[in-house]
Amino acid sequence: MPSLREAQEGFARGLFDVTDRVVLTHLVGARDMDAAAGLAVYRNNTFSNFRSALREAYPVILQLVGEEFFDQAANAFIRATPSAFGDINVYGAGFGDFLANCPGAGKLVYLPDVARLEWAVHLAFQSVDVEPLDVARLAEVPPERFAALRFALHPSASLIASPWPILAIWRANQPRASEDTIDLGAGGIRLLVIRRDHDVDLEPIAVAEFAALATLAAQASLGDALETAQAADADFDLGVFLQQHVAAGTLADFTIE
Amino acid sequence: MTTRPDSVSAAIPPARAGIGLRAPHYRELLDSRPDIGWLEVHSENYFGGGRPLWFLEQLRAHYPVSLHGVGIALGSATRLDAAHLCRLKSLIARIEPGLVSEHLSWGAVEGRHLNDLLPLPYTEEALEHVCAHIAQVQDFLGRHILIENISSYIRWKHDAIPEWEFVAEVAHRSGCGLLLDVNNIYVSAVNHDFDARTYLAAIPSQRVAEIHLAGFDEGEHCLIDTHGKRVSAPVWQLYREAIARFGANPTLIEWDTDIPALEVLLDEAATAQAILENDYALAA
Repeated sequence: MPSLREAQEGFARGLFDVTDRVVLTHLVGARDMDAAAGLAVYRNNTFSNFRSALREAYPVILQLVGEEFFDQAANAFIRATPSAFGDINVYGAGFGDFLANCPGAGKLVYLPDVARLEWAVHLAFQSVDVEPLDVARLAEVPPERFAALRFALHPSASLIASPWPILAIWRANQPRASEDTIDLGAGGIRLLVIRRDHDVDLEPIAVAEFAALATLAAQASLGDALETAQAADADFDLGVFLQQHVAAGTLADFTIE
Repeated sequence: MTTRPDSVSAAIPPARAGIGLRAPHYRELLDSRPDIGWLEVHSENYFGGGRPLWFLEQLRAHYPVSLHGVGIALGSATRLDAAHLCRLKSLIARIEPGLVSEHLSWGAVEGRHLNDLLPLPYTEEALEHVCAHIAQVQDFLGRHILIENISSYIRWKHDAIPEWEFVAEVAHRSGCGLLLDVNNIYVSAVNHDFDARTYLAAIPSQRVAEIHLAGFDEGEHCLIDTHGKRVSAPVWQLYREAIARFGANPTLIEWDTDIPALEVLLDEAATAQAILENDYALAA
């Protein structure tokens, strides 16, 4: 008789690898099914659940590659990528890069970046709520100490840069989008993905603004952020940047040493 | 700012019919506020904030709410996920649900979640293990939880006792309440060829605190618990017998795949409500 752990580990192996039949000697299938057929019911359910989670997270990728290719790639991804959480809503990180390496996907060079964008949108919808930044407390910080401020971005925020027009691709593949031809030569884009109120916004931002937010997101100081932003654009205006992103809630909290 | 009437604060779902709250129905439910007893949600779908939690909080002002988890995997021979439990505890603090429930199943091995409700071997080892996990969850949350019986498509050769004895023993040892899924009992009774009445007869009446009803699919070789159809006639019959035995209990219409119009759920809830009231009339 297998221990509880042995039984469950055998079941899990048999679920993802049909050639691993160790657990079958311990199982009885329902009705007229043998053990293998019973386990196959669970295998179908499991793969179907994970495929649904991936379809939920990557609807644009599904549009771009079609159901058959998507499902094949999804099945391979599911075998190769264990779910790390009991909450299936957060399964699917890295599917875009996996997909890009599948035979036949090579022609769609922008796939991994579109997938990263979709994953950011998916996570933004699920991120927690936070209290807005305490503006009165920020106003008390003397100007000479501004450089030492460290900001936390809103938990839903992601910064995504791509050499491809991924926002146009994303928009053209939304449910009610009009048929649009995308000019792949249109150039790259830098995006701030963030949930404001209940909707997730995809906001194109300038190179210096992107650099400043990315520096802050890496928990560096406002002084460092100013430096990276000015390296990208000498006219970067820190005052405007701060006012805008505090008011809009991109900057959700701050500390000062 | 919304204020919550005292009568609704932390209210336990009444012994009436309720429905599972699903995203396509948020707006219509809030606008029309139909006369149903309570709402139940999948806890994990509200671990984040934003729109889902906003709607749940709005609806919570008008209906008692039950949090039903699918992700703790109480019977897994691994450690429980502390971060998952923390998120659940925060959600409980925010929503003040009347009931909190999970499944009598396993769903993870070391390094891999299977994100499914899988049947345990009904052995003494599994019993001790799952009871220890239930105790851990109840201690951490500071409240009792309900445990729901699942449906299954296999059983383990080394089962030492029948499922119904296992369920009763879990309630007895851990002090948890029971969420009896009548559809799951029916599906498993057909799949594993046992008498559903034997199952009902083994369940300690005083432990039952909620009932689930849902629809199944006829698979090629067995019944599949899809939650994608209306409740079947034999399950309604078994439900009447369950109410006769356990008394009127909060009863949920669950629908998770091919989610229909709200009115279909309300129609199913009305059928359950009629059975609850008839039984009450007979008992009174």
